[in-house]
Amino acid sequence: MNRINQTFKELEKEKKTALITFVVAGDPALDTTEEIILAKIEGGADIIEMGIPFSDPLADGPVIQASASRSLKSGTTIKAIFEMARNIRKKTEIPLVFLVYYNMILQYGTKRFINECYGIIDGLIIPDLPFEEQKELIADLDQNQTALIPLIAPTSKNRIKDILENHKEHGFVYCVTTMGVTGIDVTFHKDLETYLRQVKEVSQIPVCAGFGVKDKEDVRRLSGLVDGVIIGSAIVNQIDAQGFNKESLRIFIEELKK
Amino acid sequence: MPKPKIKICGIQSDEEVLIMNREKPEYIGFVFAESKRKVDAKIVCDLKKALDKHIKTVGVFADQPPSEVLNIAKICNLDVIQLHGRESINDIKKIKEQYDKEIWKSIAVKEKKDLQKAFDFDQNSTILLDSFSEQAKGGTGYCFDWNAAKNFSESRNYVLAGGLTPDNIVEAIKKLQPAIVDVSSGVETGGKKDQKKVKEFIRRVRTMKTSSYFLEFGGQFVPESLMNPLKELEKQYEAYKDDQAFKDEYLYYLKEYVGRPSPLYYAKNLTRHFNGAKIYLKREDLNHTGAHKINNVIGQLLLAKKMGKKKVIAETGAGMHGVATATGASLFNMECIVYMGEEDIKRQEINVFKMRLLGATVVTVSSGSRTLKDATNEAIRSWVANAEDTFYVIGSVVGPHPYPTMVRDFQKIIGEEVKKQIAEKEGRQPDVIVACVGGGSNAMGIFYPYLDLPDTKLIGVEAAGKGIETHEHASAFAKGRVGVLHGMKTYLLQDQDGQILPAHSVSAGLDYPGTGPEHAALFASNKATYTSITDDEAIEAFYLLTKIEGIIPALESSHAIAEGGKIAATLSKDAIIVINLSGRGDKDIHTVAELERSQTNEQN
Ligand SMILES: Cc1ncc(COP(=O)(O)O)c(C=O)c1O
Repeated sequence: MNRINQTFKELEKEKKTALITFVVAGDPALDTTEEIILAKIEGGADIIEMGIPFSDPLADGPVIQASASRSLKSGTTIKAIFEMARNIRKKTEIPLVFLVYYNMILQYGTKRFINECYGIIDGLIIPDLPFEEQKELIADLDQNQTALIPLIAPTSKNRIKDILENHKEHGFVYCVTTMGVTGIDVTFHKDLETYLRQVKEVSQIPVCAGFGVKDKEDVRRLSGLVDGVIIGSAIVNQIDAQGFNKESLRIFIEELKK
Repeated sequence: MPKPKIKICGIQSDEEVLIMNREKPEYIGFVFAESKRKVDAKIVCDLKKALDKHIKTVGVFADQPPSEVLNIAKICNLDVIQLHGRESINDIKKIKEQYDKEIWKSIAVKEKKDLQKAFDFDQNSTILLDSFSEQAKGGTGYCFDWNAAKNFSESRNYVLAGGLTPDNIVEAIKKLQPAIVDVSSGVETGGKKDQKKVKEFIRRVRTMKTSSYFLEFGGQFVPESLMNPLKELEKQYEAYKDDQAFKDEYLYYLKEYVGRPSPLYYAKNLTRHFNGAKIYLKREDLNHTGAHKINNVIGQLLLAKKMGKKKVIAETGAGMHGVATATGASLFNMECIVYMGEEDIKRQEINVFKMRLLGATVVTVSSGSRTLKDATNEAIRSWVANAEDTFYVIGSVVGPHPYPTMVRDFQKIIGEEVKKQIAEKEGRQPDVIVACVGGGSNAMGIFYPYLDLPDTKLIGVEAAGKGIETHEHASAFAKGRVGVLHGMKTYLLQDQDGQILPAHSVSAGLDYPGTGPEHAALFASNKATYTSITDDEAIEAFYLLTKIEGIIPALESSHAIAEGGKIAATLSKDAIIVINLSGRGDKDIHTVAELERSQTNEQN
């Protein structure tokens, strides 16, 4: 079974909500990323979402944009990211998920990209690939090895069923909580509760919510509604503002988990 | 790509002609070859008397001597001769020499290699693909294996025939993208044309949803949050684009507010200077606000109004689209925010001031390369956040579907006017049309109406900046690869990993690392040619046009002037070339003055 689903199964037994934490690979450098991930695991993160930096991250706000651009300045390449991921995989069985813009996959070569993911990367979040454009990728992808994580937005409404059509077994659903891009100074959509409940009702795989999750307060609010909470900009911001410190990051994550 | 035209074949009676008059296909066919639907010249002359004059007539022949074909064609004054047998290239040549109208040559398709035969015939004869049959020459009523012809439309415009019906026509068009579809038995009941079936066939073709792709280019690569807003836009656009009241309102503003039609000016001095083809300039610079951008803005803002949106956002490079949007927003009383790169704000300060005067908010974009690409990112991000009450006015034929199609439709008036104007002035269509390509809207606008006239060569000019051999240019076709940016799949300047590379051009409006997806399709299928012009060549053309014609062109348009001049010089004096003068140069005075200053400093 895919590591993601294994993790959710265990959490379900303990009636716990998954904490999914985000980091841009290579910010400020790739070896730090590895340390960041290990610190997060110690702090109790359940799934690691790793962003592949892209020059034009359409779905990201200023915090993650800045992080991606620092990473690119340090010379991060996809090849090096895969290498680091393989390294991490030797040390842990935690589910690893990529957040990757579609162009990066296309240029690397879809088949080659997928093949390098197998065994190491358990899921792909592609923010600019709505279901209408997924056919080509899905045709090549063994979702049991690497699941394509579908995204749903507050405006999806009549589209929810179609979006989930190809996602009934593997991975999880990523529900975007805001109308907007990632960030820390954004507010949840006004119909958040109804919307998340609606997705929970139809989804056969775990439902997670993310975008704009800032603190313990937000995590608690969402925990009752969904199976997992994704926290991105707030962590990137924490590391950027205080400089990476293993201990304080671990504590930050621990706090969120409480 | 445009929706295909329709031919209903095998018309034999007055009743059928009446049906045609009512349903109005673009073409009808009379069969002069051996067939159960065979007619003769006399019958056809009689039938034609009652036929709607807008419907073109096609005569279908098979292995008849050229003299007989010519004789019938002349008696019946056919618009098209369709050769449905094993006619040779020589036969066609013979017919063409004596009858200067369209010729369609049919090819029976059994397997993929049969399509090779099409290339024996030059682009002047249209190819018709039909099913192969041992017994009959065409009119078999069966479909051939469509997979065999899947990419044929990339190499040429063609007519699709064989077993088409109201039920399979939509799938056929989606799969094969033919220019014309030809139907006969599929719209008959008991061997006679059936009004209901004809009506349904035509309705299905004409109400087909516009595809989100041009060949493999285009699409909707955007965050899920934007999918429903895009679907809604698509729905509204599809509904209004053929709505007469909407069209009338659009044309009203283009005439009374923008000042259309823009003149097609014979540039005598420029022609003399290059000493070759006659050069005409399509004067989009004379539009209100000084460029072609306003054509599109009026269309989109009228649509926004219909959709009840009071807030609009836009991205801008040179600021011409920003000024046009701010202008339209002031006219229609809408709130307007324009995103503009920090770099462009510096070089286009007059336009920034104009936008503010017009009441728009200009937001400085300081991410990435701080030019049009980044302004577009920021506009899209803002749209993601505000899609529920905001209309995004994209300024070129770029972005996710339906924008590339919609913007092209709002710009195609340029080419439609040229078609009429040049026919009045020269009695024929131009040999070459040249336009600069940033995102590609002025080029698409002038090219589009010419896509079905293969005798007019279409040339798009990208910015070569400091030279395409350097890293400082904006020539996506010369140096880019296919990728995804701003919601579309197209040619992009990018590194090995797919990071988008910053573009460079002296003209802010061409400073974009990609082009619209329809251009990508025209490029891939060789239906248009793309070249590039350096900063220096463009500046030279800027001075030249100013000095000898008294027209100060935009630096973007100067690229087209430079390329147009080069081409004109290689052509004979009876050739005709039309250059799209997309905008005026007032906004660039500052940039050119700076260049002069720095050159003087260097010399000192
Ligand atoms: C005068 C003028 N011409 C051309 C362009 C390039 O845009 P497009 O390729 O969409 O026509 C611009 C864009 O700002 C412009 O202002």
